[in-house]
Amino acid sequence: MNAIETKNLTKVYSNNFTAVNSLNLEIPEKTIFGMLGPNGAGKTTTIKMLTCLIQPTSGKATVGGYDVQKNPDEVRNLLGMVPQQVSLYKDLTVMENSQLCADYYGVPQDERDSRIEDLMELVDIKYAKDKRVGQLSGGQKQKASLVASLVHRPEILFLDEPTIGLDPTTKRTLWDLIRELNDNGHTIILCSHDMYEVDMLCDNVGIINTGNLVAYDTPQGLKDSLLESNKKEMTEALSQISSENDVSTSTKEDIEKLSLRKMSFLLKNQNDEIIDSIRKSEDVKSIEVAHNGRINLRIDSFDDMAVQNVLNEIIASGGVIKSITTEEPSLEDVFIKATAEVNEDDRA
Amino acid sequence: MIEPKKFWWMIKKELISLKRHPARLVSILAFPIIMILLFGYGMGGEMTDLPIVVVSQSHGDLTDLTLDTIKDTETYHVVEVIDDMDEGKERVDSGEVKAAIILPSDYDKDSSQQKSVTLYLDSSDQMASQILESSTQGIFYRLSNMVASQTSVSTKDADIEPSVIHSLNNFKDDISLHINRIYGNIKYIDFLVPAILGMTIMMSCMMGMGATIAGERETGELARLFMTPTSVSTVIGGKIAAKLLIELVRALILIFMAVLLFNVSIKGGFLQTFIVLVIGALCFVGFGIMLSARTQTQEDYAQISLPFSMPMMFVSGVFYPIETMPWILQKLAYVFPLTYLNDAMRGIMLKGQTLGDVWLDLVVLLGFTVLFFIIGVKRFNRDV
Repeated sequence: MNAIETKNLTKVYSNNFTAVNSLNLEIPEKTIFGMLGPNGAGKTTTIKMLTCLIQPTSGKATVGGYDVQKNPDEVRNLLGMVPQQVSLYKDLTVMENSQLCADYYGVPQDERDSRIEDLMELVDIKYAKDKRVGQLSGGQKQKASLVASLVHRPEILFLDEPTIGLDPTTKRTLWDLIRELNDNGHTIILCSHDMYEVDMLCDNVGIINTGNLVAYDTPQGLKDSLLESNKKEMTEALSQISSENDVSTSTKEDIEKLSLRKMSFLLKNQNDEIIDSIRKSEDVKSIEVAHNGRINLRIDSFDDMAVQNVLNEIIASGGVIKSITTEEPSLEDVFIKATAEVNEDDRA
Repeated sequence: MIEPKKFWWMIKKELISLKRHPARLVSILAFPIIMILLFGYGMGGEMTDLPIVVVSQSHGDLTDLTLDTIKDTETYHVVEVIDDMDEGKERVDSGEVKAAIILPSDYDKDSSQQKSVTLYLDSSDQMASQILESSTQGIFYRLSNMVASQTSVSTKDADIEPSVIHSLNNFKDDISLHINRIYGNIKYIDFLVPAILGMTIMMSCMMGMGATIAGERETGELARLFMTPTSVSTVIGGKIAAKLLIELVRALILIFMAVLLFNVSIKGGFLQTFIVLVIGALCFVGFGIMLSARTQTQEDYAQISLPFSMPMMFVSGVFYPIETMPWILQKLAYVFPLTYLNDAMRGIMLKGQTLGDVWLDLVVLLGFTVLFFIIGVKRFNRDV
């Protein structure tokens, strides 16, 4: 079942700006969904419509099976939200803010405080429960915000840039927490500009641009499709080259970029013999040895066996590998490509 | 639907905030005191101790009596009694004193001829000169009656302003005027204080609503409340309850300070005054809600509320009676709720009327309140 479904969801603001344009989106329940998109793409507007903070202009959205326009209170009961800007009362303590939220959600009195304490333990903020929110650090505020958002046990949790401005350690704690919440059955919608975060945490990723969904898949699926589309572009470019005699060097470089992928090694026992044997390998398109001893290769992006073949060659020639990195297409590459295509379409 | 727990949280939140910000608490309590002091002493006080010189060129019983009377009058502060008329005029011209009272050399002579006392007046100070003129007239009117002789006073303005010489002929006791002050001897401060109370409540209610609604909209706190299954009226109701409570404490301080500092009489009783102020506070909280219904930031709210609050302050008869204003302002005054609050406050505090006597003012205020709340809640933009 889907936790969230939208059909032709549209929001046009009073100044005639179309922030969300016929968005069709399905988010399966108990998954972590990453919502990506450049600034001003319509992510926040979409979230606001789904959390009943603003009314859609047209189209339909259901959350947990409830229509956001017809049953807003049922929807609100299902939702928790950790906004980008912490919106707790600064003069109240973490405990007081959580109690206020609990009472506004109608959490039974006899359960309220014990639930809050449990959540505080879960996110590790109990030590600051009697501190005023205004006195907390950025990470502590986010944790306090999480407690206040989870106190009514929402099935669906919206996180808008939850780790922005946090130090790496706190970030990782929060990531663990998000996974734990998901394991406990919460559906999580994560809005973030941190591609690594989205790649690591999310089951599915949707890229929104100019109010539309321009890509939707698993993170790996998106990266694979980028490779596929690169391959297709290269094939097209190559067939064009064969039909045209005069091709500029920059076009050639562009095509090369699409077809090659970086790989680099550090060997324990590097010598010319080993380097020569690597160079001879069919899969290696170019090789250079950096001043720090690292061997940088370019291999065929589209050959699934290329990495394996190069490794076999090194081992066969007696090389002992100390470290190895390969450059994979990242979610960031997918993001840039997906959003750039739309921008080009817009210009055309 | 009323949800008491949510109402209570809004009140509790305001009280906790105040408790944790003693400076804010002090300012809330000090504001009414400052207002009362500022307007009470600054505008409502009477002018006394105006510096003058007396030029006396004669000696005798009448001169002594006249000098004693002048010195005993609170309006004057007699800097010196001199005998040189030119020096007296010079001291007025230089601005050292506000006036010179010049008694002629024949002042003490027992003659049937008219005696001419001159008040040489710095008329550039309009307020002071008016008071000096009337007060001096009063003194010599009394003196001339007392001695029943032919004494007359003439006032002569200093040459700072075009000179006008008033000659006052003798008053004869042919006609006697009995003044019957139906509400007792009311000073300007008595007239001012009821309206100052109303105005202070108006200003703090309207300014306060900006912070609670527009401010919280800006910081996202309002969004969090609206993400919970809570109606607009519950959220607004809670805010009103919290605001009203603080305003009531303020109103109490205001009344208390007015009585303590200026000995203002509350003829209609404390409770009735308080009830009228509560109705007024409710009305202006409603006004604030109506204005903040669609404003997105506190800055916007301040800009929007100023064109309402400032004219209301000056047109609603706080400082001058409405009847003395140009007709257009008079008409304008009747669309401002503060006018009705002031009228009711003066009725209760000065005239000793009851709530029943000022029912029309109260009905109008409550009417405004209902109107403001309906518009406020209807127009309220839940979208954040």
